[in-house]
Amino acid sequence: MASVYKSLSKTNGHKEEETMNGVKKNKQRVLILSSRGITYRHRHLLNDIASLLPHSRKDAKFDTKSKLYQLNELAELYNCNNLIFWEMRKKKDCYLWMSKTPNGPTAKMHLQNLHTMEELHFTGNCLKGSRPILSFDATFDSAPHLRVLKELFLHMFGVPKGARKSKPFIDHVMGFTLADGKIWIRNYQISETESSSLSATQDSSSEKPKVVKAKEKGKETEISLVEIGPRFVLTPIVIQEGSFGGPIIYENKEFVSPNQIRAELRQKKAGRYNARAEQGIERLVKKGELGLRTSGGKKIPKDALDTAELFA
Amino acid sequence: MVTKSKLKMALAGEKGVDFKKLHQKKVQRAARREKAQKDDEGKGKMTEEEWEDVPERNDSGDDEDGGAALENEEESADEDESMQFDLAGIDESDSDSSAGMNDQEQDNEDEDDEDIPISDLEDLDEEDKEDIIPHQRLTINNTTALTAALKRIALPISKLPFSEHQSITTAEPVSIPDVSDDLNRELVFYSQSLSAVQEARKLLKAEGVSFTRPTDYFAEMVKADEHMAKIKAKLIDEAASKKASAEARKQRDLKKFGKQVQVAKMQERAKETKETMEKIKALKRKRQGADTSATQEEDLFDVAIDNELSSKHNSSGGKPSRTDRMGPNKRQKRDAKFGFGGKKRFSKSGDAVSSGDLRAFSARKMKGGKTQRPGKGRRASAKR
Repeated sequence: MASVYKSLSKTNGHKEEETMNGVKKNKQRVLILSSRGITYRHRHLLNDIASLLPHSRKDAKFDTKSKLYQLNELAELYNCNNLIFWEMRKKKDCYLWMSKTPNGPTAKMHLQNLHTMEELHFTGNCLKGSRPILSFDATFDSAPHLRVLKELFLHMFGVPKGARKSKPFIDHVMGFTLADGKIWIRNYQISETESSSLSATQDSSSEKPKVVKAKEKGKETEISLVEIGPRFVLTPIVIQEGSFGGPIIYENKEFVSPNQIRAELRQKKAGRYNARAEQGIERLVKKGELGLRTSGGKKIPKDALDTAELFA
Repeated sequence: MVTKSKLKMALAGEKGVDFKKLHQKKVQRAARREKAQKDDEGKGKMTEEEWEDVPERNDSGDDEDGGAALENEEESADEDESMQFDLAGIDESDSDSSAGMNDQEQDNEDEDDEDIPISDLEDLDEEDKEDIIPHQRLTINNTTALTAALKRIALPISKLPFSEHQSITTAEPVSIPDVSDDLNRELVFYSQSLSAVQEARKLLKAEGVSFTRPTDYFAEMVKADEHMAKIKAKLIDEAASKKASAEARKQRDLKKFGKQVQVAKMQERAKETKETMEKIKALKRKRQGADTSATQEEDLFDVAIDNELSSKHNSSGGKPSRTDRMGPNKRQKRDAKFGFGGKKRFSKSGDAVSSGDLRAFSARKMKGGKTQRPGKGRRASAKR
């Protein structure tokens, strides 16, 4: 009976929230997990991000890389409507999947240039669980796929108001900038200092208004930023309509997979040997054509004036 | 229709997809498209990217409305799809045609348009058109699907109070001239975030949300105390090493020039003592002279003459002293002139520079074009 009452009251609460002011409430929960084969740096970055997102839930490594649709069930199990999945390939390439479970869309991005909080010795620091200000580049509004990505970032990295472990003050800002077809992500602390120029001007004025002014202007502090970390760069690759499924609705043709880059580098290195080997083969063929090889190649027709013919 | 893989056939069989019906539908669709193309032919051919943006049918609006209405259906369909699709080997047009779901048909058409170049379509017969598998994949950028997806998940940011979402988009797109220029790039990122913070503070203050953390509010931080201690230690370390290196450099410089400075000082001191001694001597001499016969005026006159004489003596007349000729730092000059220190071995042997020096080379001599020495008789006759 109690459970029935509970469920009823719960559904009632839900409805109230949704119908409040006629707009949906910003309710997000993020599941963060990685595939097997994650390296320590990626793991540290994952931990950093999880520590920045109080509305997130970290889960154990996911075993398979082929049946990613199973992640949807996992997210449902944890009551999460967002999912960040770190797919590691070959222990060096990291692909970040960001998905709105259960109905999508899903974006797959290549993670590069990562620096964790630990290894960047930045002096900035912020409250664990304070809500960040998200700063987006206006380029995000220029194309539909970028707008989708922006919305995804907004859901994943924006801490919803009243989230479970969130703190009531705002002391850091996350910057998302598009440059060179990649998304650069930075995290800064907001440090407020009493402006020195204001106090200097106040000194000239008389004693009484100075106190009043100081109280007024005490609020208007100067803002400067101190970087906290981590730093990383994302290259969008593919956007799918569903969550880990459905048709591909955007594909980045400019993206070159790291495998290909490595293969090209290796090929370049191998070029010298290949050229030499080719030369050897060419020489053999040339000799064969001139009839200078004992086996194979073209045989020269016997000349009537050859010594072997004449004195046979 | 036999081109489908076994698995897909089995799946289709399970769902009860009627291929004949599908075929009919496709024929109809193709015919419709043909018609539309004929209508459009007056406008001339369009590229694929343009094509998808053009609302060729009037059902684009219905598409989104229908999407909302048929949400339940779509959800179930999505689940089916997720079972069916493997991301790596996805081939949209094929899988779409095999799935053949009514609510997705409109989308399918869009995607068909994208995958197959229109120019290729025109050349083919009607029967061939539907079984086509695009051999060359074009850039996928399905604008309608993207906007639909966005609409589905988007927060109503304009309606929400700022403190709900706390996101700020810059007024103008941020441009970075050179991405590999670290300093300027980071500066751009910094200024973007800074402007966002300033704007956000204004908005939050207007909404009455607490912004600044009071100094007496302590809570767990993202970076733990030991981490911050590490950072601090590192900073101190860095500063200390910088200071130490500066000190070391100073010492090195002092050592380099210390000798010269010392020599100069010694010489100066010697000169000073010499001068004072001379003065004393001159005074003594004058005393003696004054004792014998001299008035005050003569004395003064004498001094003037003495000065003049001495100056003349130094500048032109007579033999200059050794120190005058060589200057005070004789040893250094000699070292510069004759050399001092350094390796003396192999100093006369050839090196890269000397062998590269071709001043003494002449091609004529090299070829043995040297004129023969005349014989004895000739030489003798030449002498005469």
